[in-house]
Amino acid sequence: MFLDLLFLISAALTILGTLLVVFSKNLLHACVYLLASFIGVAGLYVTLGADFIAAIQLVVYAGGVVILMLFAIMLTGGNSGPEKLKSFALGFAPEMGNSKTYTLAFLSAGVFSSIVGYLIFSTVGNVSEKSLQPFVSTVETLGKKLITEHVLVFEISSVLLLGALVGAAIIARPNKSNL
Amino acid sequence: MGFNMISLSSYLFISMLMFLSGIVVVIARKNIIAILLGIELILNSAAINFVAYTRFVNNNLDGHIMSLFIIVIAAAEAAVGLGIVIRFYQIKESTHIDHASILRR
Repeated sequence: MFLDLLFLISAALTILGTLLVVFSKNLLHACVYLLASFIGVAGLYVTLGADFIAAIQLVVYAGGVVILMLFAIMLTGGNSGPEKLKSFALGFAPEMGNSKTYTLAFLSAGVFSSIVGYLIFSTVGNVSEKSLQPFVSTVETLGKKLITEHVLVFEISSVLLLGALVGAAIIARPNKSNL
Repeated sequence: MGFNMISLSSYLFISMLMFLSGIVVVIARKNIIAILLGIELILNSAAINFVAYTRFVNNNLDGHIMSLFIIVIAAAEAAVGLGIVIRFYQIKESTHIDHASILRR
């Protein structure tokens, strides 16, 4: 019963946040709605019994990535409303999209969803779902798997994070002239 | 109640909705940071699928490990992407994707 309630709240938070990210006209508001959506996804992980992934989702996504996005939005001044028009081939769309870009996007999303829906939902009935087991803590098993079976990926991801850190610092450094 | 709400297909439906929203955001928005928000939505929907299949199909935790690495890669991608966006803003004083057309001329 508690799980059903948690699932309903998390699913509603996720879906509403996601749709508001799509339709919000203000970039800052869209980012805050993305935060709500990520918190809902963490709740979905809890209903799936993935306690460690839910905690990582809250810490890394909701606490890290979204705040980083908010920093970048504020450093670049957000969206600046309706722009001066310059004519490219398609016309110059405003920053948050207009009805033309949304029409194109929904058309391609419709084509994509029909293909994927045909492929996935015809096979999902054939997946033999096992009977659900009671929740156990996944932290110990995950830690052992990370150190034994998946240790190469673990080490490579640390090198990747170091490279991303150094690369981001080098790319974003200011010009010498306007220091 | 006969209808079981927590099933594999409901998670797949939520994840597909998130993925399609990410696609729509990536195509329809013209702001570079908004496109990065769409990419985050897409990566997160993939991670939901991995955890849901782990719970309902095989119960070994390899899907959890996969979604853990998805989160790591998304964090690295966000850092580098935002670095590029800030650098672009220093040069062009804009975050509009149509202003990134130097290589096209």
